[in-house]
This record gives sequence, structure tokens and C-alpha cells, in this order.
Amino acid sequence: MSIRRKVSIVVGLAQSMIGAFTAVFAYVLYHDFFGMQSVLNVPKKDVVLYMLVLIVFGLLSIISGLFLVNEQ
Amino acid sequence: MKRELGLLHAIMLGVGGAIEASVFVMLGYAAGLAGTALIVALMLCGVINLFTMLSYAELGSAIPKAGGEYTFAKAAYGGFVSFLTGWFEWISNMFYAALSSVGFAYIISYLIPVNVPLTAILTIIVFTAINIKGVEEVGKSQVLMVGTLLAILIAFILNGLTSPKAQGFQLSSPGGPIGVIQATAFIFVAYLGAEAIAVAQAEIKNPSKTIPRAILLSAIVLLVIYPLIAYAMFRIVPPEAISGQSSPLIYVAQLSMGDLGKVALIIAGIIAALSSVNTSIMAQSRVAYALSRDGYFPKALLRVHHKFSTPHVAVVVGAMFTAVLAATGVINFVGYATDFGFIIGFALVNLSLMKLRKEKPFLDRPFKTPFYPFTPMAGIVTSLFLLIFIDPGVLSLGIVLCVLAVLAYYVRMVGYLRFRVAFGGISLGLGGFTAILTYLIATGFMPLNGVSPTIITVIVFILIFASIVQIIAGMLNVTARSGRF
Repeated sequence: MSIRRKVSIVVGLAQSMIGAFTAVFAYVLYHDFFGMQSVLNVPKKDVVLYMLVLIVFGLLSIISGLFLVNEQ
Repeated sequence: MKRELGLLHAIMLGVGGAIEASVFVMLGYAAGLAGTALIVALMLCGVINLFTMLSYAELGSAIPKAGGEYTFAKAAYGGFVSFLTGWFEWISNMFYAALSSVGFAYIISYLIPVNVPLTAILTIIVFTAINIKGVEEVGKSQVLMVGTLLAILIAFILNGLTSPKAQGFQLSSPGGPIGVIQATAFIFVAYLGAEAIAVAQAEIKNPSKTIPRAILLSAIVLLVIYPLIAYAMFRIVPPEAISGQSSPLIYVAQLSMGDLGKVALIIAGIIAALSSVNTSIMAQSRVAYALSRDGYFPKALLRVHHKFSTPHVAVVVGAMFTAVLAATGVINFVGYATDFGFIIGFALVNLSLMKLRKEKPFLDRPFKTPFYPFTPMAGIVTSLFLLIFIDPGVLSLGIVLCVLAVLAYYVRMVGYLRFRVAFGGISLGLGGFTAILTYLIATGFMPLNGVSPTIITVIVFILIFASIVQIIAGMLNVTARSGRF
């Protein structure tokens, strides 16, 4: 396995994990689990916008990471 | 696939798809919004639903192939519009199946202590097996389940009309016309699901006659039965008494019929949930089959079982996604996307009808929508009007689903490598954006007021890590074609 392939797998996994954690974090923030909205001082009215940005960021990261992991 | 479903099977498929467990819960909140005028709201929903069902009936009889909305949009528009329609139809049905299985598990938990996610998953497994076994089994189980459900609901209505505890009825709405409209938008979900008939049209006998009849009769059954349920309910108790109840129908049944009534309505709730799971598992697999037939989804989903003649791979793949959705707590939020998907689907079906009437006027149409173009236009306007009342969080999720659809479509159309390079560019952009954000937070140009310094430090470190990973990933994807880096 070439070095590039190994780097691609590691970076791809890291990027997908970042994406997955971001999506989970969006969910936690939206439902205010662990008082997350007050910990980060996020106004209620902006929560939906934050969630949208985080979910889009998360999904794009997951897809990009999967491209690297499953390199053809 | 074999044509095994008759008119009765098809009607039961439509009615069973629509009467879902949430109906047993939602009437209380809707009564709080509209008072006894909830009956008017339910009638309005039925009429709005009927506008679009007329379009389903015309298109279903003219294009009797598996896939429902997707097939109609494909005939009218083709390309991305048809894919988007199929995509939302597929996803909405999976969400709907997951919601219904969780609803079933919650109702069961009122009777016996059960693990809700596990029960929901087991329910999906059982109905996946039934759907693989054959469409005839789906039809038979649906007739049995929906027949029992309708019998219990009719008994509830008759009791409300004849009970000695029944009081006088007066039409009133505490929220005025706005309250009625809000209740209409809220309760519209009760009518969703009847279009499963159109999805299963490849398995319906004598489709040109059966499909329009089944679709219209289902819509009419719902239009009659829902307002009558509400009327019977208000004859027993005033709206204020049920607006705070978690399950108003069961509450009213217990008041007027005692424990027997309560048990009967719980059974009805269970059946409603199960028939919806049954219908939506079947519907999602037929849409996936149609999308696969046209090359949008992997060819493996096209496989038909050699013995049962059902698309077993599509059934199992969809059921797996559904089980994952049912197993997570996310379902409570994501499930609302069902409404979004179905409403978008309604608008697209009406648009498809109008396009086909204009461009293919000589298409054989055994049934024609009356009062054209008023009915499809009314269907579009009223469906989109309901979107205004959907929660903003749901709309944002709908946008995410649209983005995913665009991505899936372009993977198919543009090709793997070009798409991967494009994603490399997106990753570089995300990495750059994250790096700038990190710099602004770390240097205090973008103060995070009210957040403790320790948390800010943690955020900065996470952002630095994320931006480095994004940039490296972007470079790897951008250089994928040449292999340079």
C-alpha cells in the first residue's frame, strides 16, 4: 500500500469522524442536551441556523472523507 | 412483479397508509387550536387532499407502472425533477415507517413494559419478512388490519352519536379562522399515506380502472371518517377537556365506554401503526426499485425474488435504513421531514399532471381530473400554503435533504472522478473557512461573549484540528485524478 493511500485512509477517517461528531453536536445543540445552548451562549432564535450550518458542514465532511477512504 | 391486488386490497392499502398512530395523539392539540371547528379543519384537509388525489388517480390510470410520483414526474419532466421526486418519496416513506414502528412500540408500552427501540426494530423485521414473502400477503394482512381498525373507529363514532353521555354540539373556534387554518396545517399529516396505492400500481389488477377508483374511494373514506370521529369526540367531551390529553381518542373511549372502550382504542392504535409500517415498507421498496431501474440507484435493488416475485433487496435495504432511524432518538425530530417530503411530492405530482396534459394531450387517460386546470392548481397552492406552517427546523432539514439529493444525482450524472475533485474544492473551502474562524476567535476579533475561557481554548484547538484535516483532505481529493501530492 502506497504512502498516499495510507495518508488518504487516515485523513479520510479523521474527516468522516469530524463530520459525524459535527452532526451529533448539531443534534445535541438543537435539543439543548447538557445545557449546551447556555454553555456556548447561543440565543434560542439562532439555534436553527447553527444546526443547519453544522449539519451541512458535517454531511460534506462525511462524504469527502468517504471518498478518501474508498479511493478507487 | 405480479398483479395480485384487487380493488378492496388497494383501498385498504390507501386507508391503512393514512390512518397512522399519530392521529390518535394529534387530535388533542388540534382541538386546542380550533375548538369544535376542528371538524371544519379536518374537512378542509380532506378537500386539499382530494385535489391532489384526483391528479394521482388520472396519472395512476394513465401510467400504471411501479414508482408512483417518481414515474409521473419522469414521464412529465425526466432528469433531475423526476429523481428529486423519487428521492423524497423514498426517504419520506422510510421516515414514515420508522415513525409508525416507534408509535406502535409506544402504544404497546402502555399495556406492557417494553424496550421501545428494540420493539420498533422487531416490528420492522416482521413486516420486512411479510413484504418479502409476497404482495398478496401484504394485501391480505392489510385488509384484515384495516378492516378491524375501521370497525373499531365506526363503533367509536356510533357510540359518540348514541351514548346517553352525549351532549349538545356547537361549532366554535377559540382562535377564530387563524386557529382553524393552523389546525388544518397541523392535522394534514393524518391524510398522508393514501398515495401508496399509486406506488404499488404495478401490482394492481386491471390498473386503469382499479387505481383511480381506489385512490378516490380512499380519499373519500378518510374525508368522511375523520370529521365523524371528531364530531363523536366532541359529543362526549368539550375541546378544552381533550386539548391536554396525550391520547384524546383513548381518553374519550374510556369515559364513554369504560375499560372495554379503552382497550378497543389501544388495539385500534396498534393496528393503525402496524398497517402504516406495512404500507410504507412496501412503498419505499417500489420507489427504490423504480429509481434503480432507471440507473439512479445500484442495480442490486432491481433483483426480484425467484420464488415470491418481490423486490427483496430493495425491501431489505430500505428496512435497514428504517431500523437505524427507529433505533435512534433522532427520529422524533427527523420524522417531521416526512411531512415536508410528502407535501413537496404533492406539488410535483400536480405539476406533472399539468405538463402531461399540455405536452401529451393524446395520452390514454381512463380517468380524467374534473375541472382542469383548477384542481391541480388548487392542489399546488394549498400544498405549498401548508409548508408555511411547518416548523423552521423542519424546513432546514428539508434543505439538507435537497442538498443530498443534488449530490446523489450528480454522482450518478457527472461521474465519480469529477465529483471527487469538486468535493476536494469544497473541503479546501471548508478548511479555509474554519482556519479564518479559528484566527478570529483566538485573536479576540470575534468575541464569544458569555463563554468561559477554558471552553474557548477547547473550541480553538478543535477548530485548528478540523481545519488542518479539511485542508489535507481537500488537497488529496483535488489531486486524485493525477495522483500528484
